[in-house]
Formats: sequence, C-alpha cells, structure tokens
Amino acid sequence: MALLEMERVEKIYGQGEVQVLALRGVDLEIEEGEFATVFGPSGSGKTTLLNLIGALDKPTGGTVKLNGCEIGQMSKNELAGLRRKDIGFIFQSYNLIPVLSAYENVEFALTIARKDRSREKKTQKVKDILRRVGLGDMMHRRPNQLSGGQKQRVAVARALVKEPRLILADEPTANLDSETSREVLEIMLRMNRELNTTFIFSTHDPMVMEYARRLLEIRDGMISRDERRS
Amino acid sequence: MYLLTIALRNLLRRRGRTFLIASILALAVIFFLFMESLMSGVMDTTFSNLVDFETPHIEVATGEFFARADDDQVLPPGESFIPDETVLAEIRAVEGFSALTPVLDISADFAAGKYEFPVMVRAIDPGTFGEVFKTGDYLVGGDFIEGDEPGVVIGEQLAGVFDLEVGDSYVLHLHGQRGAPVKLQGQVAGIVSVPNPDMNLRVVLMAREPAASAIRLDEASANRIMVRLENRDQAVSQAEVLGRKMEGSGLEARSYREAAEFLVSLEAWGYLETYFILALFLLVGAIGIISVMVLAAIERVKEIGMMKAMGLTEGEIVRVFVLEAAGVGAIGGAIGCLLGAVVVFFMETYGISMEAFLDLGALGVPIADRIYGAWNAFSFVVIFVFVVVVAVAASLVPAYWAARKDPVDAIQHR
Ligand SMILES: Nc1ncnc2c1ncn2[C@@H]1O[C@H](COP(=O)(O)OP(=O)(O)O)[C@@H](O)[C@H]1O
Ligand SMILES: [Mg+2]
Repeated sequence: MALLEMERVEKIYGQGEVQVLALRGVDLEIEEGEFATVFGPSGSGKTTLLNLIGALDKPTGGTVKLNGCEIGQMSKNELAGLRRKDIGFIFQSYNLIPVLSAYENVEFALTIARKDRSREKKTQKVKDILRRVGLGDMMHRRPNQLSGGQKQRVAVARALVKEPRLILADEPTANLDSETSREVLEIMLRMNRELNTTFIFSTHDPMVMEYARRLLEIRDGMISRDERRS
Repeated sequence: MYLLTIALRNLLRRRGRTFLIASILALAVIFFLFMESLMSGVMDTTFSNLVDFETPHIEVATGEFFARADDDQVLPPGESFIPDETVLAEIRAVEGFSALTPVLDISADFAAGKYEFPVMVRAIDPGTFGEVFKTGDYLVGGDFIEGDEPGVVIGEQLAGVFDLEVGDSYVLHLHGQRGAPVKLQGQVAGIVSVPNPDMNLRVVLMAREPAASAIRLDEASANRIMVRLENRDQAVSQAEVLGRKMEGSGLEARSYREAAEFLVSLEAWGYLETYFILALFLLVGAIGIISVMVLAAIERVKEIGMMKAMGLTEGEIVRVFVLEAAGVGAIGGAIGCLLGAVVVFFMETYGISMEAFLDLGALGVPIADRIYGAWNAFSFVVIFVFVVVVAVAASLVPAYWAARKDPVDAIQHR
C-alpha cells in the first residue's frame, strides 16, 4: 500500500461569488522513501496540495488517504494526532517558536510527538539530529540569533526528530540564497538516504528542481508532468 | 511542561506589557488588603470600645426595656427586676462565661450651675462592675465608685462641658417611676477618659444603693444584667442559647451585635464599598488582560499555526494562553500581597489617625483615637487566588479565538 493515495482531488477556496479552483482533479500516489518535488509557478496550487497531503486541510472533492486513512472523514483532533506523529512540516518562513532555543524547538517537537521516551534518550536524540544538520555548536541560540539558513536547518531537524513517515516542505529554500539552499537540500537528501524518510517539497526554482528524484510539475491546479529520475 | 515554559518565556518576552497589567492587578490587591485591614481594624476597635465600656458581650433585660433603650427613649424604671438565683445560675452556665454584673440604668438630666444636659445614670454594683467593664482602668482623677457613697464618676467630656473637677457639686434629676423627676445631689468622685465618646459624655456612674432608693426601688433592683464572655466570637451564638433557656421568664438575652445594629450595618456597608471598588480595579485589570491576550494572539498567529501543524490540539494552545494569563495574575497578586503586607504592617504598628478623614464620634462610632489595622492572613490567600482566577477568566475568550484559527490561514498569515 502506498503511503499517500490521492484520487480526483479538488480544492475550491471561498464560497459564493468569488471562488478559486486551486486544485482540479489531482491523482497521485507516493511510496515510502521517495524524495519528490512539486514544481510550478506561483499560484499553481503547490501550497494547497501540500496542505492537503499534510492533513492541515480537507479537500472539497475526491479522497486523500494517508496510510490508508481517509482524512476527509477525520475530526480535527484526529487530524492533529496524525500530524503529531507521522508528519513533519518545513515552511518557507521557518516558523520556529521564538521563545525557545534551537535545542528546545527540536525537543518540543519530539516531546509532543512521542511521550514515551526517557529524558536521556530524548536529549541524545535531539543533540544527534542537530549535529547531523550541522548545528552542533549553536544548539542554545534562540531563533533571532540564527541566520536564515541556520533557522531552516533547525526547522529540518525539528521535522526529522520525531521520525515521521512523511516530511512536507513548502518552498523551504525560497528565503535562502543559492549556496545556503544547496546546503539545506543536501541535508534533506542525506536524511532521506540515511533514515529512509519520505520527503515531498515544493519549489518554483529550477535550481532546486535538480535535486528531485521524482518531479511532479503542477500547472493551474493539475499535475502536468510526473517523471522519476535516478 | 513545555507549554508552561513557552508561556513563561512569552511573559518575559513582553516584559513591559506583563508588568503594566500586573501592576494594575497589584494595585487592586494592595487596595483590597489596605481596606480590609482598615475595616477589620476599625470594626475591631469599635466593638472592643463598645464591649469594654458600654454594651457587653451579652445583656439580659426585659423585651420592653430593650425596645425603649434602642429607641433612645426615657428608660422605664418599671422594667426593673430583682435578679434571682435561677436566672443568675443560667447565665453563669453559658459556655465561655467570664463575669456578670447587674446595672440599673436611669434616664436623667445632669445639672451644674444653670445648665442641664440629658444623661443616663448607670447605677452599678461596685463589687462586680470591674469584672465586666474596663471603665475603672481609665480614671484620670479622683476615685472610682466603691461602696454606697453617693459620689458619681463622669466622663472627661461631660466634666469639660460643665467645667467640673473632682469634688465639685452636681445635681441630677432622675426620671423615676412616675411624676416629677427626683432630685439627687452629690459630688464628683472621679473622672474617667474612655475611648468611647458616648460613655465619655452621656453616662454618669454611681453606686446602686443611693440611685435605687432615690427612685424608690429595692436596692437589689436592676434593669440589665451585663455579661462578659471569654471571647467575643461566642457572643452571638451564646446569646441565642441563653435566650432560649430564659423563654417564659419575661427576660431576654441579646448580643452586642444586636444592641449595635447601626455599627453592624456600617460594617456591612464598609465591606460592600470595599468590594465595589475592588471590582472596579479588577475590571480594569481584566480588560487589560483581554487586550494583551488579543494582541498576543494577533502577534503570534504564525506561531500558533505552526503549533497546530505540529499537531497540538486547540485545547493545548488555549492552555498556553491561559497559563500566560495566570502568570500575569500570579505576578500581580504576588507583588500586591508583598506591598500589601508592608502597608498592613504599618497600619498595624503605627495606625492612622482618623481625624484627618472624618469625625467618627459624630457618626456614632465609638472610636476616640488612632485606628490600627489588623492582620488577616486569610485575606491574602483569598485575594491572590481571586486575582489569578480573574486573569484566567479574562484570557479564555481571546485564547479560544486564537486556538480556533485555521492553521492554513494562520501559517500564511492571511
Ligand atoms: N485561503 C485561500 N483563499 C482563497 N484563495 C486561495 C487561498 N489559498 C490559495 N488560494 C488561491 O489558490 C490558488 C493556489 O494557491 P497556492 O496553493 O498558494 O499556490 P502556490 O503555493 O503554488 O503559489 C491561487 O490562485 C491562490 O490565490
Ligand atoms: Mg505557496
């Protein structure tokens, strides 16, 4: 069974007169361990697609199944529970919790996702993941003491630490210069190889697109190209 | 645990705001503690001055006598009685009983020179009076009443009105059973200065024998039996117990609180006023908290969106806000209690002079000098908890508003 199955998914924003058809019939399957890129111009529906995959939003038509569970049928709290354990998010604007240090931001995500771990194991895990993303010596800085690239690495570590089945990254490099972007992408790719975590990230930057192992091109709310690379 | 950390750090991050709202709450707490201390100080002194010099914990008399006395009418000598042993035994059996003394109160006019002044002659039993009342300890000249001599003891203020000193002569016109007033002459034996304005001016003490025989009553007659208990708090309940036991005997028992209805209602009004002003302060504090929480919710939309994306439920996000509000409440409450303790300490140690504010004597409150505050540890606990509860209650609506925001909108900040 595929990790993600979408069938004829539609998303319409707004009721009444001004309606925007953001997705118009998307069929998509993603397997465990993929590193897929959703590529398309601004306004094409990338964010909408990722939000539906990540159970942050519900489709107005069609079905989205994660792990075989249909998200349209789930309650708010069930969706929250699903996101808590199985899905990690990375956003363009990092969205770290400003009052927590890098270390605490990561530990917070781990704490709310997996309550059963002992304290030492948790500490070990958080330090390990921060070292892997190259922040071993900046763990105790607050977000406002970190550069954009460093913040995004914290966000990557935060998404990874709970070992979710799926990580969704919505234009993770849009606010970064190209060199930093490459670094962050390298880290994501390496995590995908080392931990077999499934990644889906969106971009409108052709440079970023090169990293994709599966390229999904989206135009006007429809997937216009789906190509695997090696 | 993490929610608490986040809440606390958010409080620190917005230090200025936190401090402003906490200060308003602290002000409310200080005000309350001050008023509460003042009120209980005033009422404590008031009731002590009442009980020690005028109306004791429990008094026993006929119903008719009480009615007349409360209406400030001429006291009816016909309502006197000779206390018998069964009644006295019943009184002595009251829980917490300390002492009793019979008195014969007679309406009279006090005359010296060409002036007259209405007073109450309280004819006392010199042997036991001092066990119930403390008047004897406040002598400023002459001697207190001993034996059956016809000398009187008057208050310093009455002495001042007539310009009398110890040894000077006076004339009393006693309103006896019937007919014209009975004239009684004698000398001032002693002058007292008690911290009860009424007793200082309107009461003349003398021995029972000469007063009773002047109005042709048996010398053992009394119209009230004054009872002192070990503890003021027992008065109300024990007066009730005693009253029930004396049913059918023609006598009634009542506590000092029934005798001083005016003071009791004054006490209630004082507290009502305190609570009203406290409510105003807290309302301002609550509005402050609401606006701070709304601001925080707007500022932190993205953060809230991220928390929701990470899988926090609405309930958990509400908790962060509520914890923050509780934190503001606790800071305000703690500062308020601390400063309030300093204020109450000064009130208790140095007191404040009420002359500056109002003439309590003229109001009928038996306090002649400074007022001292009283400590009440329970008030500190109550007001602290109350402030925290108000803060939490004020934060609930904005917290739910923030928590219910759609995560998608929140993250994109639309
Ligand atoms: N909450 C919303 N309300 C109304 N229209 C929206 C909303 N979100 C997105 N849209 C519209 O849906 C379309 C797809 O948007 P989006 O998924 O954000 O595209 P992308 O991420 O590729 O830029 C756009 O036309 C956008 O204006
Ligand atoms: Mg987008």
